[in-house]
Order: sequence, then structure tokens, then C-alpha cells
Amino acid sequence: MMRVAPSLVCMPLFSSAFARRTVTLLLLGVLALLVIVAAASWLTVRTGAHTEEVIRERDLRMVTGTIQTALLDAETGQRGYLLTGEPRYLEPYTASLPTIREGLETLSSLYLQQDRPDERLTQLKMAIDEKLAELAETVDLAKGGRRDEALAQVRTDRGKATMDRMRAILDGLITEAEGRVTVRLAELDRASELLLWVAGFGALLIMLFAGGAAWVVVRYTAQLVTARHELQAANASLEERVAERTTSLTRANEEIQRFAYIVSHDLRSPLVNIMGFASELEVGAEALKRYLEGDAMQADRAKTAALEEIPEAIRFIRASTGRMDTLISAILKLSREGRRELNPEPIDLAKLLAATAASVQHQLDEANATLSVPDKAPVVVSDRLALEQVVGNVLDNAVKYLAPDRPGRIAIVVSQSPGRISIAISDNGRGIAKHDSERIFELFRRSGTQDRPGEGIGLAHVRALARRLGGDISVRSELGRGSTFQIDLPARLRVSDSRTHLEVTK
Amino acid sequence: MNARPVSIVMIEDDEGHARLIERNIRRAGVNNVITSFRNGTDGLNFLLGADGSGEVSASHSMLILLDLNLPDMTGVDILAKVKSNVHTRRSPVIILTTTDDEGEIKRCYDLGANVYITKPVNYESFANAIQQLGLFLSVMQVPVAD
Repeated sequence: MMRVAPSLVCMPLFSSAFARRTVTLLLLGVLALLVIVAAASWLTVRTGAHTEEVIRERDLRMVTGTIQTALLDAETGQRGYLLTGEPRYLEPYTASLPTIREGLETLSSLYLQQDRPDERLTQLKMAIDEKLAELAETVDLAKGGRRDEALAQVRTDRGKATMDRMRAILDGLITEAEGRVTVRLAELDRASELLLWVAGFGALLIMLFAGGAAWVVVRYTAQLVTARHELQAANASLEERVAERTTSLTRANEEIQRFAYIVSHDLRSPLVNIMGFASELEVGAEALKRYLEGDAMQADRAKTAALEEIPEAIRFIRASTGRMDTLISAILKLSREGRRELNPEPIDLAKLLAATAASVQHQLDEANATLSVPDKAPVVVSDRLALEQVVGNVLDNAVKYLAPDRPGRIAIVVSQSPGRISIAISDNGRGIAKHDSERIFELFRRSGTQDRPGEGIGLAHVRALARRLGGDISVRSELGRGSTFQIDLPARLRVSDSRTHLEVTK
Repeated sequence: MNARPVSIVMIEDDEGHARLIERNIRRAGVNNVITSFRNGTDGLNFLLGADGSGEVSASHSMLILLDLNLPDMTGVDILAKVKSNVHTRRSPVIILTTTDDEGEIKRCYDLGANVYITKPVNYESFANAIQQLGLFLSVMQVPVAD
């Protein structure tokens, strides 16, 4: 019989564990994403700042260069003019003056922007002013025709010294700016690298969390699908199971009726005897009494009563009481057996068969019979005691009812089909008439020549047990040739299966 | 005319019942020979012979008292065999049993049983019934054997 799979029972429609797991994973994913965004924003802002600084340093360096070139141009123009006296040589000087002034302004504004006032800027301004004043003075002298004075002025080396000072300051500024650019560029590189790492690591985390969530969802869905399939299968077999259960209940009910009928009949028989012979006893006693009261005519009658009728009546009453006791004991035994709790356990069938075979070895030797038992047999889950009794009873019968005219051969064969096993016990004994093949399983009924002791309980007991174990027993036989008793059992006994049959023997 | 008297064949597994039945029949004044069998196999062997042909009973006038619950077979099987055998089918069969199952009674009459009597548990009634059966038997005509 099919049962609803356990996963159906323990899995609610919506698993809270599943929800918790999925939401946690997704939240972790979102958290990772937020961290990445924050880190990336911060790094981007920092990169932007670095970039701006780099641009500013470049500007600074460029402006410084421009000022240096312009100063050189101015000096070149002054020298050319002083040498030649031709105004066209003065052109570079005139052109460079505004450039220098603009450059100087740009430079101070750049320094102002950076908010780092520098001593050297003031020194530079002073030096430039000084140099420009020296240049303007010499040029003015030359223009006024006092070239010698101007040249003497140049020769004082004052201009050169100023120029050298300026150059030193400018070179220093340039070198510094270049150094800062290098540092900033390196920082920029590091920042980009960090950004890359953060992004990569974050992406990995997100992938992990998303993957985890996806895995949980996929697994849960798979469980749902499995559960649905099981439910469908359970539904499909429900009808079948109901029919099966109904058949089994009908059978159980019929068995109870049959059992009650047999019991009532078989108990009534000895009762008729007891009452009958009690009356006979009374009749005999009456005859005896009359004789003892002096009725001499009753002498013969009293003699028969005392010597035959009364002892016979007592014998029958005693036998019938004994018979009733046997019957009640048998019924009690069956009832107890029916109430006994079954205890399914794994049983090595080969071992069980071998042990049962060993227990009948003595009878086999006496009857000069042989018994073959399979070396290998599957392991079944069943009630050991019940299974031993079933096999033992059938085997006992096989030995008990061998044909006296030929050597007995008994064979046990185990076969297997999906979920079921079947134990066939065949003999070449006296066999059972076809019309008795069901009757032998009834309580107190026997078949064939009654030359062996027995109460007609064994096979009734075996059938009740086999049915409690979720199986049945049947017989194929040919009178005078032998019989095969086939015990059909589930490979795994489920205790609920035996419940309907429990009622039968109660 | 048949020289041999009618014999009574009783198939009854319970020795006590057999004894009580015999005694009460005798009390009714029936003195015919009563042959008693304790199980179906022996009874059938007597009625139909070891070969089962029934020829052994060809020249017997018999009346059969039959119990249904026998240890080795059911009386219904014996009834069916007796009533389907050419040599024994005319012999009256009286079912005398503890069974009062409706279906069983019908089945026995269908198979050709002549009388069906349920054994009363109360001995007064039992003795009475058997004695009346004895009276009935003493006036009953049994077909003459061929």
C-alpha cells in the first residue's frame, strides 16, 4: 500500500526557513552593493581632486616656463638693442613685457587658489621687478644716446645676478611642481587601482549572494516540484488504495463471520454431548435408584446402568469437557497471536530458513526424507517470530504428511518481485484434494486420511499470521503427488498494514 | 421383494453424538443395523467403494444419516457424490448437523437432501427429535435395491 511521502508532511506551503534564507542573502547582496557604491563614489571624488591638482600643477609649471622664456626674450632684446642700437632688435623686449606681467599674475592667482602663499613668489616678483627696472633703465639710457652708460650698467653684472636669482627660483618652482605632479599621478594610479579592486571584490560578493539566493530558490522550487509529483502520485493511487482497503476489510469481515460460525459450531458439539450424557447419567441413576429402593425387577437394568451406561456417560462428558478446553485454548492462542504487537526487523531469510530446517531435521531423519534450502535469499523486513511460525508450521506439515510409499523430498524456493517476496515449500507427499484447498486453512478443519494427530489449527494460524504480515498463503496440490504451499509476503512490513487483520483473530 | 432389510449408514465425526443418536433411535424401536463412520473418507469408501463407482452399494437398501462438519471433508461433498451416483442417488439422505446456516440448508436441498435437521443443544429436544426421527424412519419407505 502507498503512503504519502514524508516530505509532503513536513513541508508547509510556504517555508519560513526558505524565506529567511533568501531574504538574508538578498539583503547581504544589497549591503555589498551599497558599500561598493560608497567606496566608488569616495574614490571617484578623490580621483577628481587629484586630477584637478595635477592640471593645476601642470598650469603652474607651464606658466613658470613661459615667464622664464619671456624673461630670456626680454634680456635678449635688451642686449641686441644695446649692441646694434637698432630699434628692431628691441622688439622681443617690448613683446615679452606683457607676457611676463600676465604670467606673473596667473602664477600668483594659481598660488592663491592653492591657498599656499610662498616666500619665493614674493622674491620672484621682487627679482623680476628689479630685472625689469634694470632692463628699462639701460634701454632708456640707450634710447637717450648714452649707450656707454648703459653698457657700463650691464657690465656691473647686477642684471646678470638678478637673472641668475630669478632662474634659480623659477627652476626650483618647476622642479617642485614636477615633483608634485609625479606624486599626484602616483596617487591617482593607486586610487584607480583601489577602485578596480573594490569594484571587482564587490562584484564577486554580489555574484556570490545572488548565486546563493538563486540556488536556494532553485532548490526550493525543486522540492516543490517533487512534492507536487508525490501528491499527484498519491492522488492517483488513492482510488486504488481505497478499493484495496475495502477488499481487505470485506475479507476481514468475512473471516470474522466464518470464524464466529466455526467457533460457535465447534463449541456447540461437545456441549450437546455434555448435556446428552448428563441426561443419560440421570436415566441410569434413576434405574439404579429404583433397584436400590427394592424394585427387584430392575436388577438387570440397574446392572447395565452401573457397569456400562454410567461409566460411558462419564467418559463422554469428560472427553467433551477436554475437547472444549482444547478449543478454547486454541481460540485464545489465536486471539493472543492476533493481538501481539508485530515488530518489523531486517531478517536474513536464508538464515531463518536454515534454522527452521534444522528444527525439523530429527523428523526428516525418521521419515528418511530430504530437505533442500536455498543458500542465498534476500533480506526482508518482517516480524521474526511470526515468520518463523509460518515457515515452521508449513514445514512441519510437509514432513508430517509425506507419502509412506516413497522417499520424501521437500524443497524451499525463494523468489522475488518488486516489493514482494515469495517462499514456496514443495513436497512430494500425499497431496490435498482440489475441493479442500481452501478448507484446510479454516479453523479445526483437516483434510485427507485422518491418521495423524492434529487439531486443525496450524494452517488457520499460519494464514492469520501471513495476512497480518501483509501477505497471504495459498496451496497448489495434486492428490497423491504432492503440494506446494506458497507464502507471499511484502519485502518490507509496515505495521499499519496488519491492523485490519488484527481484527480477524480478536 | 427385497430380502435384505434397510441398513442405516451414519457418518458422524463426534463419537458422543453418534452414540446418543443411536441410543435414541433404538428407543424409538428401530432395530435396523446401524453402520457408523467417524469421518468422510471412510464413509465414502463404504458407500461408493474404494474405486468410487458406487457398485458396492448396488444391492443395498440404505438410509444415510449425515453430519456436515467432518474433520476431513464437508458433508456437502459426500451428499453431492451420493446424489450424483447412479447406485446411491435413490437412498434417502438425512442431514443431521449443528449448522443452521440458511445457505447451507438451501444448498443441501438443492443437491437432493431429503431431510435437514438441526441438532438442538437442549438434550430434551435433541432426544425428542431423534426419537421422532426413529418413529419416522420406522414407517418410511426406502426404495428397494435393484
